[in-house]
Amino acid sequence: MAHEAAPTANTRLFRPGYAGHNQISARTLGFWLYMLSDALLFTALFASYAVLDTPMNAAGGPIASQIVNPIEGFWQTIAILGSVTAYSLSTVSMKNGKRGGTALGIIASIVLAVVFLAFGIHDLTALAAQGDGMDRSGYLSAYFVLILTHAIHMGIGILWMLVMLVQIPRYGFNEMVVARMLNLRMFWQFQATVWVCVYVYVYMIGA
Amino acid sequence: MAGSHSDPLAHPEVQQGGALRYIAGFISTVLLMGAALIVTMRHDLAYQSFVELVGGLAFLALLSQAALFYGLDISRAQIWKSVSLILTVPLFIITVGLTVWMFQSLDQRTMVMPSSAAAATQPTLLQ
Repeated sequence: MAHEAAPTANTRLFRPGYAGHNQISARTLGFWLYMLSDALLFTALFASYAVLDTPMNAAGGPIASQIVNPIEGFWQTIAILGSVTAYSLSTVSMKNGKRGGTALGIIASIVLAVVFLAFGIHDLTALAAQGDGMDRSGYLSAYFVLILTHAIHMGIGILWMLVMLVQIPRYGFNEMVVARMLNLRMFWQFQATVWVCVYVYVYMIGA
Repeated sequence: MAGSHSDPLAHPEVQQGGALRYIAGFISTVLLMGAALIVTMRHDLAYQSFVELVGGLAFLALLSQAALFYGLDISRAQIWKSVSLILTVPLFIITVGLTVWMFQSLDQRTMVMPSSAAAATQPTLLQ
């Protein structure tokens, strides 16, 4: 075991510039750990949904089989997976040092993400317009919160991509931009993972 | 953790990305979800079997994403991500599983509903 100085109040866990510490590795691992905690947030929402997904908690309002359409959900699945694949391919362009290809992949990813969100928002607004909003029953509260939480994540991802579209031409592929692109790739892939769970649990098992 | 690199594009996290891998991740997940959709639309399985089959297909889709999208493996660059995920997955299962288990008991003891209403509705995990 190596002999090192005993830690003191001034000990630093991470030192930028030190050859043994890598900014990109530290940032991606840190963001990965954040995403696992974000996944636990979704786990809590899934648990709540499971508890409230009963006719009693529908309080006379609609239940899952009356409001979800597995076929429409499949188009959403293709849209979000297409968006994730487009963004992931943009990082392959980044690997090859191509700014144009990277930007193109990001733009394609944003377009597909907007298509995905348009489906979801259309469904939720149609439900609310017919009086079945999130305050109609416990079940609908759980349904709206689950879908909206995922949609908000998607919105933040789109915003992040727009920021990267500005930063790539401005700063090039420097260490910070590359780390942000990699973290966004994980974040975006995570949205597809959550959606697979939502699609199977809400749209299929509930149908 | 990987060592330091002067060129950020030479970092293992950047270099691990591959077009074929991502396209394979897209195709495999779409196919598995398509198979689950067909099972759902046919409505010819008992609820328990249906949940098990669709859940199994979803599990395969998640595994496919872990390997092909996230690129998780036991390489030096990815090992800590893989380990942290493996340590976190039981928390997901415990959170959802224990909650459903507790409320299933509560539901059966307290949420008595008319048998006609119960017969008319789709069963759920709690029931």
